[in-house]
Amino acid sequence: MSKKIVSRSALYYLLCITSLLFISKLAISVDNEIIYSGPGDNKDGYESRDYVTKSLSINERKGEKTNLIKYAEQSQLGLPKLKIPKNNPITEKKIALGKKLFFDRRISLNNTMSCAMCHIPEQGFTNNEIRTAVGIEGRSNLRNAPTIINSAYYKFLFHDAREYSLENQVWQPVLKHSEMGMPSFGFTVKKLELIPGYKNLFNDAFPGEGINVATFSKAIASYERSLISANSNFDKWYFGKNDKAVSAEVKKGFEVFIGKGNCVSCHSIDNDHALFFDNKLHNTGVGYADSMGLLIKNNKTVVQLAPGEYVEVDNNIIKSVNQQKKKNDLGLYDITENPDHRWMFKTPSLRNISLTSPYMHNGVFSSLDDVINFYNDGGVQNELLSPKIKKLNLSKAEKINLKLFLESLVGENINILIADALFQTVGDLTKDDPNWANDKDMGYNK
Amino acid sequence: MYLRNFGISILTAILLTISSFSYADETCMSPYMQKIVGQEDYVYVWTLGVEGLGDEQDKLVTIDVSPKSKTYGKVVSVLSVGGRNEAHHSGLSDDRHYLWAGGLDSNKIFIFDVATNPRKPSLSKVVIDFVEKTGGIVGPHTFYALPGRMMVSGLSNNKDNGGRTGLAEYNSKGEFIATHWLPTDGDLKGANKTGNFADGYGYDIRVQPRRNIMLTSSFTGWSNYMMDFGQMLQDGEAMKRFGNTMVLWDLHSRKPKKVFDVPGAPLEIRCAWGANNNYCFTTTALTSKIWLIYEDKSGEWQAKAVADIGDPSKVPLPVDISITSDDKGLWVDTFMDGKARLFDISDPHNPKQIFEEKIGSQVNMISQSWDGTRAYFSTSLLGSWDKTEDADEQWVKLYDWDQENLKLSHVWTVDFYKEKLGRAHQMRFGAYSLYSSKNSDEEKSVSMLDK
Ligand code: HEC
Ligand code: HEC
Repeated sequence: MSKKIVSRSALYYLLCITSLLFISKLAISVDNEIIYSGPGDNKDGYESRDYVTKSLSINERKGEKTNLIKYAEQSQLGLPKLKIPKNNPITEKKIALGKKLFFDRRISLNNTMSCAMCHIPEQGFTNNEIRTAVGIEGRSNLRNAPTIINSAYYKFLFHDAREYSLENQVWQPVLKHSEMGMPSFGFTVKKLELIPGYKNLFNDAFPGEGINVATFSKAIASYERSLISANSNFDKWYFGKNDKAVSAEVKKGFEVFIGKGNCVSCHSIDNDHALFFDNKLHNTGVGYADSMGLLIKNNKTVVQLAPGEYVEVDNNIIKSVNQQKKKNDLGLYDITENPDHRWMFKTPSLRNISLTSPYMHNGVFSSLDDVINFYNDGGVQNELLSPKIKKLNLSKAEKINLKLFLESLVGENINILIADALFQTVGDLTKDDPNWANDKDMGYNK
Repeated sequence: MYLRNFGISILTAILLTISSFSYADETCMSPYMQKIVGQEDYVYVWTLGVEGLGDEQDKLVTIDVSPKSKTYGKVVSVLSVGGRNEAHHSGLSDDRHYLWAGGLDSNKIFIFDVATNPRKPSLSKVVIDFVEKTGGIVGPHTFYALPGRMMVSGLSNNKDNGGRTGLAEYNSKGEFIATHWLPTDGDLKGANKTGNFADGYGYDIRVQPRRNIMLTSSFTGWSNYMMDFGQMLQDGEAMKRFGNTMVLWDLHSRKPKKVFDVPGAPLEIRCAWGANNNYCFTTTALTSKIWLIYEDKSGEWQAKAVADIGDPSKVPLPVDISITSDDKGLWVDTFMDGKARLFDISDPHNPKQIFEEKIGSQVNMISQSWDGTRAYFSTSLLGSWDKTEDADEQWVKLYDWDQENLKLSHVWTVDFYKEKLGRAHQMRFGAYSLYSSKNSDEEKSVSMLDK
């Protein structure tokens, strides 16, 4: 990585973040390199009155461009070679176009939502700041936004596994009423044709095809396929046989992961690679607890008002301002209607897990400690609970080590992927774009 | 066109000219602006469209409030603007010919001509490229007139929909001039971080030109202000994303000077008018406190909490506030209990509540007439934060205020749901007296403009 001249303010947050990284033992190489990973508005320690802000300047974070295609084409230690679909060979032009589309807020009914507003690069391509996603016009979504990193390896997509390819997946958020709210395939294509620049970019990336339903999703899928991140410290130790890549604690934590904790029975590891998922769905009790209201302990909810300041608010008060009643989330059952599939959710990968809080399909856990305690307690008992989930009786040291192991799974190139994403200009409405208020409408009644 | 060095002299001139007033909402306006000191003729209500109601889109609703008029207390014109933009605040231009109204969600700014026909405003311009032009500010909130300028505060940004944001400076024609980012730890922009926080969040803007200061407050980003309120209160992550700061700026250079810790989302700012009253107030929405930002004896600006509003543990949620022009009273609306409270702020360091009354199941904004005898209230806070079912009343109510006997008397209500209009948010006044040099109520209008 080339050395950078770092501005004073950049240096300041570099210092903040490197010290943080050392505390949490996130082993990213930091010499003279701007660290992009982590929310720009850091709230670590907000529980305490002594909280000190570590907010970064939005304006000064320009990122740095990278040629991403190598990450899709070359294997990284710890992950198998990526299969690229025959009907969508990956090219630099497609990745560049897909990236532009991923960050373009004009691909939503009111020009406010892009993929990246929910899959925020420096927040692990997810959203660390809310449990469940908020879409266009503030509409509530049932679930937590998962990371895009390494999603190219999944056989199934979404928490309930209802989609099978990145190409197919793309259109759902675009057309969904509660996400980006575009009215139709055709209208989306038409709008892209009218936004200056896209016609040429599509023609370049897809000669002879131009903008259509298929090329739109192929471009975005190509970008997503280039967001591959492995070669973590764990990989360097476990697969690369570099004994010094991780600490003794991490190694002990790994023992818990594959032994007493039995995590590996779902978060799989193979001989020459580790996806940390099994392409299956399981009932851990998280969904059951949510549907049955077990998460609500009494008639009050503890609400934080300011750093270190909390009140207990009567749930009736909360109800009085709860306009959008959510349905219960039954997971796989919602798409199969098989009663045995109630509360089953897709096993997610654990790579980069320390960057993608909050956790589980509903974002109910804000820290890895919460997740580990949950498993240690044997999940939440229900008639369909996976037999692989049992009380673990982990010691305090075992829990800490397990967490340190999970934190060793941050991919080596993560900072590069994020820097590249930050370099991309966010697409916002300009005076040249189609909009009624601009006398450049979509061409109706002309 | 206007006085560049608007100063104490003019202010005192106004204070002397108008003999018998005690309270004023127009005090919430920019001191650079012409004022209505007599009877206002119209109230412009920036109204949120509601799915399933009427044409479902945002609109500017004009209510005739002139008691002599045949249509007194009635809606006289409705201007639909397309979309649910999260209509929120609006502000008049320095010459008071234009009303700028923002969409916190769509980032559109609608500039209405309210001078050509005050009874029937028209849409003069729509700014659609606010986010692009400002370099990523989302959520145009306060529109605060400075000479020849409109200063617009943002609430969020296009990178993470969080609370870090900036101020956008426009000229009176609606052309973008500059972005002034709020100070963050990453770039304090020369400001002094006086406490623990420099979050970079934004909300309201007020100035004291005499002291060459501008103050900004801090709320929360898009993902919170657009989120279902009940859902947000239960989301521990989201609740960490509220502003805890106020920033003191050099008004002329637009450079931030000090960042104050003001925990719990300080929202509206109101500055005192008295020639020697170098202070402003804000209230914190979550922690329910009145804060005083004042210049101390050594000439240093400070911030301190001076009073509780209601029972903070019940989170009454103070929203709009309104200072009186004699700097003796501060009205505070609390959304959750639907109450209006009046604090005696004669001693700004020791505000005391002297009055409270329930206005409805929910209340947000308050706008008083210049003479303080009339107070208009409206209901809506945010599209996703308003109450549900029967408690979701949406109206504008007029009350008469009797200062001597501390009595609010209801005059009329315009029911915004019954009229299929939407959710009533911010109210701004219009009057013929502003635009006519030979109007009948001449003595009621004070012009600060050097025409
Ligand atoms: C409003 C927020 C939001 C927006 C906008 C959004 N997503 Fe998502 N995304 C989510 C949520 C929530 C899920 C999980 C949904 C579920 O499981 O039902 C998800 C799931 C995904 C997944 C599946 C990942 C996995 O592990 O299964 C991919 C891939 C994805 N999104 C890509 C995109 C792309 C591409 C776009 C833009 C075209 C986009 N998202 C826009 C919130 C969003
Ligand atoms: C029975 C299979 C199974 C076992 C055993 C298991 N997990 Fe999981 N894990 C899952 C599933 C399924 C989810 C997703 C649950 C949801 O979304 O509600 C999950 C989610 C997680 C998550 C959150 C991921 C995210 O992105 O939100 C973490 C962290 C995790 N598991 C760690 C562990 C650890 C550590 C262990 C061992 C102590 C373990 N898991 C054991 C199936 C399993």
